[in-house]
Parts: sequence; C-alpha cells; structure tokens
Amino acid sequence: MSTYRKSWRPYIGPNDPCPPIEIKYYETPPNLYLGYQPYGLKQFDPSTALFKGTLWPALYAPYSNPYKKKREEEE
Amino acid sequence: MANPKQMPDEFYQWMKQLQEIDFVLVELTLYLDTHPEDYDSIKQFNEFAEKGMRLRQKIEKKYGPLMQYGQSYSGYPWNWDDPPWPWQM
Repeated sequence: MSTYRKSWRPYIGPNDPCPPIEIKYYETPPNLYLGYQPYGLKQFDPSTALFKGTLWPALYAPYSNPYKKKREEEE
Repeated sequence: MANPKQMPDEFYQWMKQLQEIDFVLVELTLYLDTHPEDYDSIKQFNEFAEKGMRLRQKIEKKYGPLMQYGQSYSGYPWNWDDPPWPWQM
C-alpha cells in the first residue's frame, strides 16, 4: 500500500537549470517492518499468489509511480 | 506444410495450475530456508510437491514430456522437441 511510501524535500537552489522536484519519494516495503517473519501468517490461495507475486498478504506491496500522478496533473 | 496442431484449452489450464503450484513451492522454499522448524509449512510444502508431481505426470501422459535427460518419459517417436516450447505457449 502507499502507506509504505515516505518522502523528503530536497534543497532547491536558485541556479537550478531544470524544473526542481519538490518532493522525492522512497519505498519502505513491509519486510523492513517485519524482521523475522512470524509463523503461521495468512496466505493467498495459489492462483492469487501467482498473480500478486507473493504468498503472504502481509508482504504484498505493489508499486505505483508517485511522480506519474503529478506529471498528469501538470499536463 | 500443415501448421502444427493447436493445443487444447485443457493443456493451458493444467500448465497454469502447474505454474501456480511451482510458485507456491518457490515461496515455501525461501520461507523454509529461514524457518527450518516450521512443521506446518513443511507439511504444506510436501503436499504441494506431491500435487505438482501428480499434475506433471498427468500432463506428460497426455501431452508429451516436459523435461529432458530422463526427467520425463519420452513418447514415440522421439517427441521432446515438439512445439509448443515454453516461449510459444
């Protein structure tokens, strides 16, 4: 989920030739918070697992491009 | 030259199930590497391994070998190189 997405604001200098990127994002996937995977986690059924790319919902973290949304707004 | 016979839908369904089983086995293998004492997962792993073997046999009996060098029985005549290959599926 996007809750794993964190952001920071880089310094924007006055002589920046290109349009500055105000907010930079980075992902913190669930396995960082999980540490040692607990026993008996709930599982997807096989066909969903293949589609989602993981057997455990707790580790499912799809990526959506945060910059794309902003670019569409500008266009 | 007649184009090769199209595989029936059943073949694709079975191959998809096989892919699902194999994916679960990959995930469980990675999990069990770090959780060697997890009895339930090992039981689940063996269940899926057996399911995979049975499904592989079912596919090979009807549609020819999936692997080579003795991993699968051969049909007659020698048919391991018949289409579809994995990328042609």
